[in-house]
Amino acid sequence: MTVNDPDQDLVARVGRGDPAAIQALVARKLPRMLQLAHRMLNDAVEAEDVAQEVFLRAWKQAPSWVPGAARFDTWLHRVALNLCYDRLRRRREQPMAEPPEQVDTGPAPDRDLLARDTRDRVTAALGALPERQREAVVLCHYQELGNIEAAGLMGVSVEALESLLSRGRRALRAALADLKE
Amino acid sequence: MTFERFQLLAEAWGGAIARWPAETQDAAYAFMAAAPERADAVLAEARATDALLDAAVSPAPSAALRDHVIARAPAARPERARLWRWMTGAGVGAALTAATAAGVMAGVNLSLARAPVGEDDALLTALYDTGLADDFGGSS
Repeated sequence: MTVNDPDQDLVARVGRGDPAAIQALVARKLPRMLQLAHRMLNDAVEAEDVAQEVFLRAWKQAPSWVPGAARFDTWLHRVALNLCYDRLRRRREQPMAEPPEQVDTGPAPDRDLLARDTRDRVTAALGALPERQREAVVLCHYQELGNIEAAGLMGVSVEALESLLSRGRRALRAALADLKE
Repeated sequence: MTFERFQLLAEAWGGAIARWPAETQDAAYAFMAAAPERADAVLAEARATDALLDAAVSPAPSAALRDHVIARAPAARPERARLWRWMTGAGVGAALTAATAAGVMAGVNLSLARAPVGEDDALLTALYDTGLADDFGGSS
């Protein structure tokens, strides 16, 4: 079965070393990869490391990329998720003395404190979700992947994915119940 | 579609039916039309959760990160191509040419004391015209 990949032509041009295509791929995918890693790891510095590593692998892969078997975007997600899970595993094995430092990447300082407080609490609540629930929410809500694609990346059935999503969203709602008023 | 199924889908996929799995959307809209009040209540709850999720930090890549990523792309590293060319046939050819040139230069040096200045300049110009300068750090 072949898949319809909107990135196919771009990846082929990247594989030929086309500088404009490289710029375009970075503009299209770097924000997605950075946000995916940031939401999975809740750490700005580690997220940048992961995003860089994803692209290093993309540069190696592009010249030999065979279109039709999978979407390039799905492949990027798989690479990024594997890198995130490597880092989460290392965290479990070597607990940090202090939580990761958060870099302020949010709205400008003239935004009111309430908005900032909400943003920080939601980010923290997302980071506190069990990993699989967080992964499901990140892939489906933020990355906007379809159910089959997300379930395939996670190695679960669509029904299991929906269950993880529901539980994750319920947990977030419960943790942030006071913010909804 | 049952109410329970509608509720479960909203719990999982949020308050915008357009973002639900494609195969569920027709039935969901049909349920909405049949039971608008129940559907609206479920969707409103899900939309509130969506809004919370959307309030989370959404980092944008810095210019430095973008530049770093682009700089490590193959096209941005011409020195790799130069090294590869050097290690392949072209490089071997250039090496042989260089060895020959070195021999010629030695001959030039030996004869400098006797040769008129104009002849030396012509010989050196001819060497550079072969493109050796490019293979030893030129701009190609």
